[in-house]
Amino acid sequence: MFEWSDEHLAIRDAIRSFVDNEVVPNIDALEHEGVPPYEVIRKMYRTFGMDEMARESFKRALERKIAGETGRPERRGGDNSAAMTLIPIIELCRHCPGIVTSMGVSTGLAGGTIMKGGTPEQMERWGLDLMTMDKIGAWAITEPDSGSDALGGMRTTARPDGDEWILNGSKTYITNGPYADTIVLYAKLDDGSEDDPRKREVLTFVLDKGMEGLVQSAPMRKMGLKSSPTGELFLSDVRVGVDRLLGGRKDPSRSKSEGRESAKENFVTERAGVAAMSLGVIEECLALSIDYAKSRVLWGKPIAQHQLIQLKLAKMEVARLNVQNLVFRHIEMSSAGKTPTLAEASAMKLYSAQAASEVAMEAVQLFGGNGYIAEYRVEQLARDAKVFQIYAGTDEIQITHIARDLLA
Amino acid sequence: MNVVVCVKQIPDPAAPQSLEPSTNTLDRSGKLILDDSDAYGVEMALQLVDKAGSGEVTLVSMAPNGEVAGLRTALAMGAAKAILVSDDALKGTDALGTAKVLAAAIKRTEFDLVLAATESSDGYTGTVPVQIAELLGLPSITFAKSVTIDGSTVKVDRQTEAGYDEVTAPLPAVVTVTAGVVEPRYPSFKGIMAAKSKPVDQVTAADLGFSAGDVGAAGSGQTIFAVADAEARSAGEIVVDEGDGAQRIVSFLEGLKVI
Ligand SMILES: Cc1cc2nc3c(=O)[nH]c(=O)nc-3n(C[C@H](O)[C@H](O)[C@H](O)COP(=O)(O)OP(=O)(O)OC[C@H]3O[C@@H](n4cnc5c(N)ncnc54)[C@H](O)[C@@H]3O)c2cc1C
Repeated sequence: MFEWSDEHLAIRDAIRSFVDNEVVPNIDALEHEGVPPYEVIRKMYRTFGMDEMARESFKRALERKIAGETGRPERRGGDNSAAMTLIPIIELCRHCPGIVTSMGVSTGLAGGTIMKGGTPEQMERWGLDLMTMDKIGAWAITEPDSGSDALGGMRTTARPDGDEWILNGSKTYITNGPYADTIVLYAKLDDGSEDDPRKREVLTFVLDKGMEGLVQSAPMRKMGLKSSPTGELFLSDVRVGVDRLLGGRKDPSRSKSEGRESAKENFVTERAGVAAMSLGVIEECLALSIDYAKSRVLWGKPIAQHQLIQLKLAKMEVARLNVQNLVFRHIEMSSAGKTPTLAEASAMKLYSAQAASEVAMEAVQLFGGNGYIAEYRVEQLARDAKVFQIYAGTDEIQITHIARDLLA
Repeated sequence: MNVVVCVKQIPDPAAPQSLEPSTNTLDRSGKLILDDSDAYGVEMALQLVDKAGSGEVTLVSMAPNGEVAGLRTALAMGAAKAILVSDDALKGTDALGTAKVLAAAIKRTEFDLVLAATESSDGYTGTVPVQIAELLGLPSITFAKSVTIDGSTVKVDRQTEAGYDEVTAPLPAVVTVTAGVVEPRYPSFKGIMAAKSKPVDQVTAADLGFSAGDVGAAGSGQTIFAVADAEARSAGEIVVDEGDGAQRIVSFLEGLKVI
């Protein structure tokens, strides 16, 4: 794949006009007035039949689960599902990466984790509503004292009590935390053993809003990504039964690393998503910069004719081509039924996130004073793009994953 | 209920346009898209068929170079199939010639109603639909702001300067719709994917029974011999508010007899 197909372009155009009509007019409310993004996302789902498609793929996934099939479903040639997921991400990110973050965490991380690791009952109880965006999901691993070291340094505990567990601890920077109906939560098993706490088993639970002992904070104030509500979760003696243990009770000889694997599998999904998000930011910044460079006249000529401005534009184009190629490669791999390795996904994320951040900051520079003023939009994209280098694993963590693979 | 919708594929109005120097007509050699004003007819047709509970929407279009991009958009919205008349011999066809071609294409289908936009966004003659009606020997109603079907009658609220007229006609009929008639839907993802396998029957002028000289530049009764820029609008009057701004605007409007 070296360019979008006619169908891809038709999807892009349809989403683009939806974004122009439904997102752009509401951008101030979403970015600055605390209006949560969920209604816009739901409207997009209904408008393009994404909810219906989610219900159909849920049905197939449930059937596979009941039949005991594991692994990825077999794909037909020319499968378009990766493109259909990534194109709306790219288009939304040209204006509002926060919306994509909320949507991706709810369906991809919270929904995806339940669909993959959940029992058929759990899939029906929580998975379907998350995949259709009828309910909002959060995926909670990060804690105040452990971010990059989330699995090792986790302090939230699950203490067995008869047939149940009692959860205590807190989570932070949780996307959709303030509003989530369903929360996928990771906790360390605390069965009183003398094992090194870093090495203890990680368990995955599904919680509902309003459970006794669970507090969801108000949204935190942030540098950017303001249209995506981020919050803290506090757990004091939250009692959960086996029905909320992801995958249900299993045979005692089962692998003790399942919780960790469940968390890690998501790293690949979210890192590929960040590349598509970066592409949206880069495309928009480049388009805005070209227009501005042609129309801003200084010293008697458009600034586009100054070589230092041309250098900025050329570097933005190089970044756009590279990130687009990474996205195309991901779509191509996915339709061939292949998944990138963690190191590949990390390389893709590292490069794309840095490129988006650099391009957006250079766009601010190119716009001069206007670059710093909200009306010209690049300042928002620059603030938003910075988070790509932090969440879903910081740049430094991507580097450690790439290096570990190279040196193995 | 089978509805035919005449749809025009036009150069993207957002892109720069040029005229062909020899004919003074719009250069249509690039990629064409569905005329926005036709999306209303497509939507209206889909809703009427949906309400009737059976039947389908067929698109009819005349366009150069076998262009189907605009048709795919309307097929993605839900139309079932399309007839595309594309033929080098049609280059230079005028409005009446276009109506003859479209009428001949429409005759190849079974239909209860023909919908079209009031006028296209690139040509603006606004004459083709009524010419089609005449050629097909059917009643026509223009400027519909609402269309309903009652048995074998079409009921239309027809936009006028003062308000609207309630008009009916027996089916089959030709109706042109305004942009206010319905809100066009976005194509769903599934619709977009399905559109590429929906049938588009591509025919030539000869297939429709026309011979050289009937259509195209030769058959055209009109020649565009010059194109002139629109008259530049004269600068408006700027009212500098020195405390009496409101009063001066009121007197200006009174002078125009609008208040
Ligand atoms: C807007 C937003 C939304 C988020 N959404 C979610 C969510 O939905 N769910 C969730 O669980 N988490 C979420 N996070 C948390 C995010 O994943 C973490 O912020 C991230 O993993 C970094 O952890 P930390 O903030 O604790 O930084 P730290 O881990 O404290 O890192 C501090 C610095 O040290 C560096 N560093 C750490 N380890 C190493 C090392 N080994 N070598 C070199 N440098 C190192 C880091 O790269 C960083 O520069 C979100 C964060 C943000 C900002």
